[in-house]
Amino acid sequence: MFENLLSPNFTTFITLFIFGLTIMVTHHNLIKKLIGMYLVQTSIIFFLVTIGAKSGSTVPILLSAAGPIEPHVYANPLPHALVVTAIVVGVSTLGVSLGLTIAIFRRYGSLEEDEILKRLE
Amino acid sequence: MTSQAVCLIFLLPFSAAVAMPMLGAWRRSWCRPLALSAVGLMALFAFSACYDVLTQGPVRYALGGWDPPVGIVLVLDGLSGLLAVALSLVSLACLFFGGPALPKDLGSKVVPYHTLVLLMISALAGVTLSGDLFNLFVFLEVSALCAYALVGLSGGRALIAAFRYLILGTIGASFYLLGVGYFYAATGTLNMEDFLNRLPDALHSKAVLTGLTFILLGLAIKAAMVPFHGWLPDAYAHAPDAVVPLLASLVTKVSLYAMTRITFWVLGASTLTYEFPLLFLLSMGGTVGAVVGAFLALTQQDLRRMFAYGGISHVGLIVIGITAGNQTGFSGGVFYLANDAVMQATLFFIAGIIMYRCGARDLNQLGHLGSQMPWTSAALIVTALSMIGIPPTGGFFGKWYMVLGALEAKNYLAVAAILSSTLLTLAYFVRIIERMFGEKPSNASAAQLASEEPVEMRVSMGALAASIILLGLFSDRIVGLILRSAVPPGLG
Repeated sequence: MFENLLSPNFTTFITLFIFGLTIMVTHHNLIKKLIGMYLVQTSIIFFLVTIGAKSGSTVPILLSAAGPIEPHVYANPLPHALVVTAIVVGVSTLGVSLGLTIAIFRRYGSLEEDEILKRLE
Repeated sequence: MTSQAVCLIFLLPFSAAVAMPMLGAWRRSWCRPLALSAVGLMALFAFSACYDVLTQGPVRYALGGWDPPVGIVLVLDGLSGLLAVALSLVSLACLFFGGPALPKDLGSKVVPYHTLVLLMISALAGVTLSGDLFNLFVFLEVSALCAYALVGLSGGRALIAAFRYLILGTIGASFYLLGVGYFYAATGTLNMEDFLNRLPDALHSKAVLTGLTFILLGLAIKAAMVPFHGWLPDAYAHAPDAVVPLLASLVTKVSLYAMTRITFWVLGASTLTYEFPLLFLLSMGGTVGAVVGAFLALTQQDLRRMFAYGGISHVGLIVIGITAGNQTGFSGGVFYLANDAVMQATLFFIAGIIMYRCGARDLNQLGHLGSQMPWTSAALIVTALSMIGIPPTGGFFGKWYMVLGALEAKNYLAVAAILSSTLLTLAYFVRIIERMFGEKPSNASAAQLASEEPVEMRVSMGALAASIILLGLFSDRIVGLILRSAVPPGLG
């Protein structure tokens, strides 16, 4: 299974993850921080999709009720269930954070962290 | 009946939270009774379920009738049972306290406040009950989202604090989710028990090691272990008075519980041998946190910030206890965790009452308050005794068992950390008490107190202060209970 992880997918995941984390930590603009956050979440979702992928398999619905079930024909449904839930969690986090950003902008008239901090003093 | 009670612990506050916006649009004054009764009922169910568990053994509740490991399962064993009881009682006290603090603080936001608080309580209960790694993530995120919104509820500076909390909390959650992905890749299961059964075959796989690093890092951020505590003091210093006790007493403690659950019941730290000293590394984190947190608390001028750093140092202490690697230390740590939930709630009740009556939050404004607010100062002294660790309060017995556990493990550094954090705690409480009973009022506004604090505030503060002493008096029994039914298998 882990030869897989050296594939382009895994490299993409790591690149996106590090990019997102760096943007989140180093940028002062609140929206850019959120973009970084979204990149991190997306990269993890991408990782989950990658470990669940199986070439040549079909959707996990029984082809026929008769006869023994052949597991290797079907894709593993569980990572996909995880991904859907993780997307929902990510979207709600983004919703709350955008709400907070709007409230901050209305109150302080800026989205730059240093300017807001200046206005606080 | 028992099996339904397990599910109801989580479902009661959840359904009340869903009903709250509709009810609030109709009759706003009914919000508080509904919230209180939902959490009260939850406490009753938690009690009955916990009693059944302690007498008849762990209960597994397969959600939707799908048996584990395929379905999602709620597990109520000794540890989660005791924690669910503590959680529901403390949150009941916090809700009771929160009502009268609201109008001044939150204006018309009564409905969102109650909705979010109930949702958070149900999600925290879900974390304690969850028997599935991914389900735990979802519950953690739901509770964290409610916490972000609650911190930002009063607007102003709190918004910035809430945003920072959100950024760090999301990094923690992402790390946790990534770790879960690695675990699934390595073993093909997310059910905690099933995972522990399959782990011995995959113990040396790099995926497990990476996964556990990410999971523990994520939970350390959520539990505010030093050096990942940056979000906590700001969030607690600026959040509304009605919200802080809940956050301080429950959110970090439940993350700590999740860490305990994963370290022992998923990673099998007590039964499996890793290539590296897992428990020792965690306990080092706790050692640093206990001392650094207490030291930072000593340097604060703001009352709430001081309490927040005190909480950070106590997180470190609990980690030291839990990871001592023997039963004595573990039960001491768990007992201290319950104690700390009560102590943190009481401390922020006191800060809230002082804020309510004289608008003071700076240490220098506390002059002469001691004689004018006898109840509050009495509660403060009881809590201070417990935070420092003087018998007969609960804090003493928790620390006692933790020190015994650390001695048993021959971890003298941890013993030194516990003792020095005790001294530092003594120092910062002396600072507060010295100001409160100081000779002359340091400013004019402190002399003109607002009218008496509402009776609900005083009752909830008094009840929790009394329960600190009760926890101390019954510590033998509680620790015995933990030793009998909540200790992880295979712990020496």
